[in-house]
Amino acid sequence: MKVLKTLYGLVIGLSILLGFFFGPDHAVFAWHKIPSWDAIFGVLGALGLLAAVKGVGAIIFRGEDFYG
Amino acid sequence: MVEPIPPAFLFILGAWLIPFLKGRMKQVYLLLVPSLALIDLFLLKPGTHWVYPFLNYSLVFAQVDRLSLIVGLIFVIIGFLALLYSLQVREDGQHVAAFLYVGSSLGVVFAGDFFSLFIFWEIMAVTSVFLIWYQREKGSLDAGFRYILMHAFGGCCLLAGIVIHFSTRGTMAVGPLGNDLASMLILTGFGLNTAFLPLHTWLPDSYPEGTVTGSVFLSVYTTKTGLYVLARCFAGADGVAFMGGAMAVYGVIFALLQNDVRRLLSYHIVSQVGYMVAGVGLGTDLAINGSIGHVFNHILYKALLFMCMGAVIFRTGRRKLTELGGLARKMPVTTLTCVIAALSISGAPGFNGFVSKGMVISAAAEKHDALLELLLVLASVGTFLSFIKLCYFTFFAKNKALEAREVPWPMQLAMAATAFLCVFIGVYPQSLYQFLPFPVVYQAYTPFHVVGVIQLFLLAGLVFVLAQRHFAPHRGIALDFDYFYRLGGRFFLWFCSAVLNAARLGLQERFARVVRATVHFSRDPLWLAEAATRFMELKIHEGFSLGSKHEIDELRSEFKEVRKMGRAYDENFYRRPIGIGVFLALGFFFILVLIYLKA
Repeated sequence: MKVLKTLYGLVIGLSILLGFFFGPDHAVFAWHKIPSWDAIFGVLGALGLLAAVKGVGAIIFRGEDFYG
Repeated sequence: MVEPIPPAFLFILGAWLIPFLKGRMKQVYLLLVPSLALIDLFLLKPGTHWVYPFLNYSLVFAQVDRLSLIVGLIFVIIGFLALLYSLQVREDGQHVAAFLYVGSSLGVVFAGDFFSLFIFWEIMAVTSVFLIWYQREKGSLDAGFRYILMHAFGGCCLLAGIVIHFSTRGTMAVGPLGNDLASMLILTGFGLNTAFLPLHTWLPDSYPEGTVTGSVFLSVYTTKTGLYVLARCFAGADGVAFMGGAMAVYGVIFALLQNDVRRLLSYHIVSQVGYMVAGVGLGTDLAINGSIGHVFNHILYKALLFMCMGAVIFRTGRRKLTELGGLARKMPVTTLTCVIAALSISGAPGFNGFVSKGMVISAAAEKHDALLELLLVLASVGTFLSFIKLCYFTFFAKNKALEAREVPWPMQLAMAATAFLCVFIGVYPQSLYQFLPFPVVYQAYTPFHVVGVIQLFLLAGLVFVLAQRHFAPHRGIALDFDYFYRLGGRFFLWFCSAVLNAARLGLQERFARVVRATVHFSRDPLWLAEAATRFMELKIHEGFSLGSKHEIDELRSEFKEVRKMGRAYDENFYRRPIGIGVFLALGFFFILVLIYLKA
């Protein structure tokens, strides 16, 4: 398991490194110019969605027999 | 030379033979019809065919161009694979419903006029509901009724829009529409089938309640015909593009809240159709290509996902993530094909979702729509998270109590063939691009795209691993907009039963009183005069204190006696009013004759 975790970490590091070499041909938006922007967005997006799911779930989640 | 016919007719007419066939012959027939439809499609030449005059306009059953051909092609291919998957189904009714549903969807695709489009549209709604009802459970029956009610509403909007469109524009040809009242009504009808927010609730409500095989068909046709007609009539509408972005994110948030595996997949239909709607709304060549390419790919991986989850339900009888787990070793083909489908829908490089989803996102960037681009990328993150959750808790999480084995070989073959197509298109995108409506200049596999998507998934996956406890499924349901519709429905029922019914009963009682009084009076019309005389006599005696108390009491009891009319039947007593009645009638006619003669 530890090997897998190390390998996973290495692959993440490698992908972030590659992000510095392969940018878009034409940056349309400001964030396209940030190297490895997708890695940042991956973390922010996942955390944002988790927060949204938790927030929405707290309001609308009900028991299975709610509708009878 | 064999003349091609509209492929819809092959399925719709072919459906009626199914009940007359048995055993192996029937299974061969079920696969033969879509095979013939595929050949038929390749024989269809671009242009307008099968035109029939009807009243003051023309019915067009085969409007053939690159757009209708590619959508027709994937409809027929997946029809074949879904029928292969459902070969073990013994109920003819399910096959008939599926044939009519596939046929009517093809009818919509090739319809060149709004009238025939509407007819096929309604056949779709009516036949598809049987794929839900054949599950024969109370939940499916109820969900089916809600489904048909919602589609009836959408159909009414569509018909009203078509009628107004025809009366104002004078044309029935299916083509680009504007933003007048007719167009908005038609857009509402199309939007309901395409799962526009907040009209989408019929989809996650009903698709999880369908039969194991029926839900595979359902996942394909209704929303994609909706998307197809949107592309025909509303390409380039800004509001539509924003709706697509909202659907994409809304779908993944609600998918992450689900415990029922097929409800989770249903919310992902809303999300994935969001990408296609966004593409249609952007309206550029790249966006339309991306949108239609995504229709093609989505149909493959979504049908595959419904096949895989159908296989899990077929073997375990369980449909909730909290009750599943540990199936990877017991159902290896299902597991492998499900992982392929999960990677495809997530848009991983090497799988078909990647080659079309990227086109829509690039089109949003190309059109400088920053919000839409961010929404679509965010939805990609959510999709990936959601499918790690689905695959992990269905196949890889520990659950030693669950017994299962692999599904029958036709189901496995259908899943394997669909998975192969997902990988084939992912590896060789040109195989899809050559059929798209516009020439493709887009490069799917650039280092920037590939590295970007890998980064997105690796880091989102890291968040999942670190916060796995928070992504774990829970028993329960997530309320959606249908809560308000059900509330409205309950209010409507209360209004009908408590208000309208009470009004009806009150009216009925009053009318009954009038009838009773009329009957009472007509027994003896002279009674009224007699009762009035007795009443006056009594009141005069009472008012002026005429006579003794005994006499007044006697008058009162006489009046009560007359008022009651409780006298025993007396033949002579009833002759009198009849005689008077005849006399009055004669008198009336006599006066009429006098008036007539005088005039």
